[in-house]
Amino acid sequence: MLRKGITESFGAAIHALNTTQLTDGVINRSKRMMLDTLGVGLLGTRTAVFNKALTYSQLFTCEERSSVWGKSEMNLPPHYTAFVNGIAVHSMDFDDTWHPATHPSGAVLPALLALAETLPSRPSGLDLLLAFNVGIEVQGRLMRFSREAYNIPERFHPPSVVGVMGSAAASAKLLGLSPAQCSHALAIAASSAGAPLANAATQTKPLHIGNAARRGLEAAQLAQIGLEGNPAILDMHHGFGVYYKDYSPSAMAASGAFKWILEEQDVAFKRIPAHLGMHWVVDAALAARAKLQNTIGSFDLSQIRRVTLRVPPSKYVNCPLPVTEHQARHSFQFNACSALLDDKVSVASFSEAHISRPALRELLSKVKVETPPDNQPSFDKMYCEVEIETEQGHSHAARCDTFYGHWRKPLSQRHLVEKFSVNASSVLCTEGVEGVVEVIGNIERVTECSVLALYLRMTSNPQEELHCVNIQ
Amino acid sequence: MISTLQKTIRHLKAVRVLHKPAVEVLKHPAPEDTVTASFGRFISEMKPQHLSPVVLQRSKRMVLDSIGVGLIGSTTDVFELALQHCQTHSMDFDDTWHPATHPSGAVLPAVLALSDMMPAHNKPSGLDFLLAFNVGIEIQGRLMRFSNEAHNIPKRFHPPSVVGTMGSAAACARLLSLDASRCSHALAIAASLAGAPMANAATQSKPLHIGNASRLGLEAALLASRGLQASPLVLDAVAGVAGFNAFYEDYVPQPLESPSDGGHMFLLEEQDMGFKRFPAHLGMHWVADAAASVHKVLVGVDPGTVSPAQVQDILLRVPQSKYINRPFPESEHEARHSFQFNACSALLDGEVTMQSFTPAAMSRPDLLSLLRRVRVEHPHDNPANFNRMYGEVQVTLVGGDILKGRCDTFYGHWRNPLTNESLRKKFRNNAEVVLPSEKVEMLVDVVEELDGLGDCRVLLSQLQ
Repeated sequence: MLRKGITESFGAAIHALNTTQLTDGVINRSKRMMLDTLGVGLLGTRTAVFNKALTYSQLFTCEERSSVWGKSEMNLPPHYTAFVNGIAVHSMDFDDTWHPATHPSGAVLPALLALAETLPSRPSGLDLLLAFNVGIEVQGRLMRFSREAYNIPERFHPPSVVGVMGSAAASAKLLGLSPAQCSHALAIAASSAGAPLANAATQTKPLHIGNAARRGLEAAQLAQIGLEGNPAILDMHHGFGVYYKDYSPSAMAASGAFKWILEEQDVAFKRIPAHLGMHWVVDAALAARAKLQNTIGSFDLSQIRRVTLRVPPSKYVNCPLPVTEHQARHSFQFNACSALLDDKVSVASFSEAHISRPALRELLSKVKVETPPDNQPSFDKMYCEVEIETEQGHSHAARCDTFYGHWRKPLSQRHLVEKFSVNASSVLCTEGVEGVVEVIGNIERVTECSVLALYLRMTSNPQEELHCVNIQ
Repeated sequence: MISTLQKTIRHLKAVRVLHKPAVEVLKHPAPEDTVTASFGRFISEMKPQHLSPVVLQRSKRMVLDSIGVGLIGSTTDVFELALQHCQTHSMDFDDTWHPATHPSGAVLPAVLALSDMMPAHNKPSGLDFLLAFNVGIEIQGRLMRFSNEAHNIPKRFHPPSVVGTMGSAAACARLLSLDASRCSHALAIAASLAGAPMANAATQSKPLHIGNASRLGLEAALLASRGLQASPLVLDAVAGVAGFNAFYEDYVPQPLESPSDGGHMFLLEEQDMGFKRFPAHLGMHWVADAAASVHKVLVGVDPGTVSPAQVQDILLRVPQSKYINRPFPESEHEARHSFQFNACSALLDGEVTMQSFTPAAMSRPDLLSLLRRVRVEHPHDNPANFNRMYGEVQVTLVGGDILKGRCDTFYGHWRNPLTNESLRKKFRNNAEVVLPSEKVEMLVDVVEELDGLGDCRVLLSQLQ
């Protein structure tokens, strides 16, 4: 079914949206997203998947170069910078999550920063902020075109569908493309969208975000030099609609009654580097554990006969015996048991040593998963219940409806900055850490946003970096 | 056990720095009995001796045709705009298979680029090159047979963007001599890079589908060679978590038998390739041939050119397919995807050629007059399927006479293949726009002798 003008309206809006339309609420929220994204990205530059992508990307050279985060002297062609930094952001599943579900920032920020460093116009912090929000907004709009997008995905991994479109929109904004070129950027990007969900919970998942960032930037640049795609790409079922079973697009206004989606719907920030669903089960497990502890005193694993998890149905995060770190980040069972065993779940919980602990494996064998009919696979509606049954036959259960960090219960600014600092400190020296906090905190007043790159390269241990890079 | 180890070491030597040491390879568990694992094994175990004479012959024709269309494609606007590896599909002149896709354009550029990248002392032979190419074609054919949807003119995803990426990954994995596990991962990584919507077909972006398929398949293989891992079940159908089946409404995967067991037959042996005689969507060839036969009659009756004034009505009986049903195409891309345009061009000129798509030709008043007289019907017995469709052109003259032309199998279709002469003529016409004739003749010879070349660099050097 051909509807007219939707793609055109998106092109017009991307072109026309300006800084005066940025409200305090949106500025505040998007700055938090940027900070969080940089922190998890920096931490991610020490992962195996990042290193593989980096080694591969070093095959390519180009006159234009942008900064790789967390490396004091490494530049890559901007597309590959966007690629590897995007991978870093999603490498540990530690980045922000929205509703409808996607990881919006990782697809956009790496592309913008890579691009900004190469632009002779030297964009300001405000330019960056605006472009970033355009990229987020477009993603939010696109997800509202289908009911399918509101539930935990089964076919395509959402960041690979809407992320590349957001990156294209944001890049087109920063490049100052005309309305028609903005539309074509979206059309070209649509041909780069869509990665199957089967690659989530594998080492390739972070590439979905890395590629979203890179290919969106590429789409905008191709549109800039005049390449055209279908000018009605968003209007058509066999256009962007191919990624959804139900598809009902609508136009976007750029003025008058325009309201940013981010203003009405905040993102969730993660406290644990794992799939968002894990946060519910961890909070419930910790609460159940506390109940058990209060009742019987010191906590003894051997007294547990069974652990029942009541979770929403979702095949790709139902993994009884994960082996890899990626599987562990996508396993209700693993995260519940880690919480029960260690009384916390953190970055360290996903190391190979931790995953293969006999005590953990033993506890995992006692887990049963139920999917109650009232537990919907939606990040807005789901809950998790953890029930611990002891050998004596006593039961201790707890339920989590909204974990701390969810948009209904947002992380305090203090905790957000703390998360950033802990992550960034693993890679940057203090001056770098504080510099990023400072720059992002005042981004709307910063004259040249590429100053960020300077801080993102202030590593604490240049020797360690070299070692990471030489891994073949 | 020892011979397995020796085989492994031989493979590793071929790849040098890109592989982990043998010890680590042996540490990994044997692959499970999944479709994905069977594909990985198939790619890694395929050897030159598995290529039959028919497959060698047919694939060399594909290589020649693809190089030719690629060379002429380098003169197009979209090529100017985009990257070098887009050129093969820029004019919709490249080969087409059944089930429908353009297999060679997704594979050849990647195999050429990768051969160019490999160190001087380790350049693949012509036979290695052909083997990798054929693996890339075979994998595409096998994947398309997993669904009924693939057998009809596509509606959702543009097939080269789906299977082309996988074919390129397979071909490159073969050329890199990756082990079975890494071949599987190459396919899985490629799946995340596959899939573009049909809406961009018949736009300037369409050629990028092939360019990207080629480049991203290569990328997937290179990432796999560096140890990146992805889903071990990407080709298998797992309920609730889509893999490669995300691109299809119906999907029933089958494992591939190991070529070492003997008895494997390449699909190319059973199902030949279609080559185009003019640069347009394959469907256009049926109506062009049908209209050309009517033109012949008209010109016979009244020598000279065909005049729109003679024509009262033109009825096309063609399969139903929205994206090649364009009454008044406005761009060259649209014209290449318009039953109406191609029928009228052939009616007017007796044939459709490269020149039919120039702005001058497209805006001819005579052509536009004819276009205004066209009606389209979709008979029930005319399915949107390249194996079974037909094209009928029925012209009602002003005097009341009705002339009918019908084409069931155009010349160039796999059922009525281009002769070697015709194929070479097409190649020369294309290549001579860009290369001097001595080089063009050298290329014809080199491709003919490709399976005997000790070093495929000879082919590479002729292309520059």
